[in-house]
Amino acid sequence: MDDFQSGEETAFVVDEVSNIIKESIEGAIGGNAYQHNKVNQWTSNVVEQCLNQLTKLGKPFKYIVTCVIMQKNGAGLHTASSCFWDNTTDGSCTVRWENKTMYCIVSVFGLAI
Amino acid sequence: MGEENKENAENATEEEPPSNTYVIRPNFLNKFRPVIVKEAIHHILVENLQGKAYDGEEATEWTKQISDAIKTKLKDNGYDRYKFIVQVVIGEQRGEGVKMGCRCFWDSDTDNYAQDIFMNDSLFCVAAAFGVFYY
Repeated sequence: MDDFQSGEETAFVVDEVSNIIKESIEGAIGGNAYQHNKVNQWTSNVVEQCLNQLTKLGKPFKYIVTCVIMQKNGAGLHTASSCFWDNTTDGSCTVRWENKTMYCIVSVFGLAI
Repeated sequence: MGEENKENAENATEEEPPSNTYVIRPNFLNKFRPVIVKEAIHHILVENLQGKAYDGEEATEWTKQISDAIKTKLKDNGYDRYKFIVQVVIGEQRGEGVKMGCRCFWDSDTDNYAQDIFMNDSLFCVAAAFGVFYY
């Protein structure tokens, strides 16, 4: 007998989201080198593509996508998140990506409706 | 059996009969309002980071402490039926370029976010708090 509302179709699947994030970053930034005047555009593109793909999954979630792009010059960067939510249904996924000139950190939070 | 029915009938005339009510929108008092939250975040950032210099090892701990402090503060504020997400980023100031952005897919009537920035000579800190209503 099938359980009510369970299984992959309505759950937050981290692997799936992680792939979406990676593809979005590759698509938006790819092999570009850090350019100050392009960063605005890149962050917008990354979060937008991510959100586009996430909504296409058609799951009952609200999504929050954040993106940080930082130029590499030896400086440190730390990030942490703290959540108050329903552990059984909600989930998050963070991907760190880098190329020669910059870091890009994208976090996706999915909150079940 | 008959007596019980009578009693119920009497009670019903004394009090308003309970109607079914469902909360689908937060009332104004319990709504997540960015201006108030931003102020709270600001206080916590100043409290935790004032006079501190960047330290690669300690900064990891600071991000955790600050995000936890903000989350606790939000929980204490008594927002009814809200889920919270707090994200804190601390970076070293070395003149590098940084851009942080976010985009949300949610109910803009009920859900909102607040953010604040703290900066000194050696570090910068961005804290963003999201409040998401669940129905």
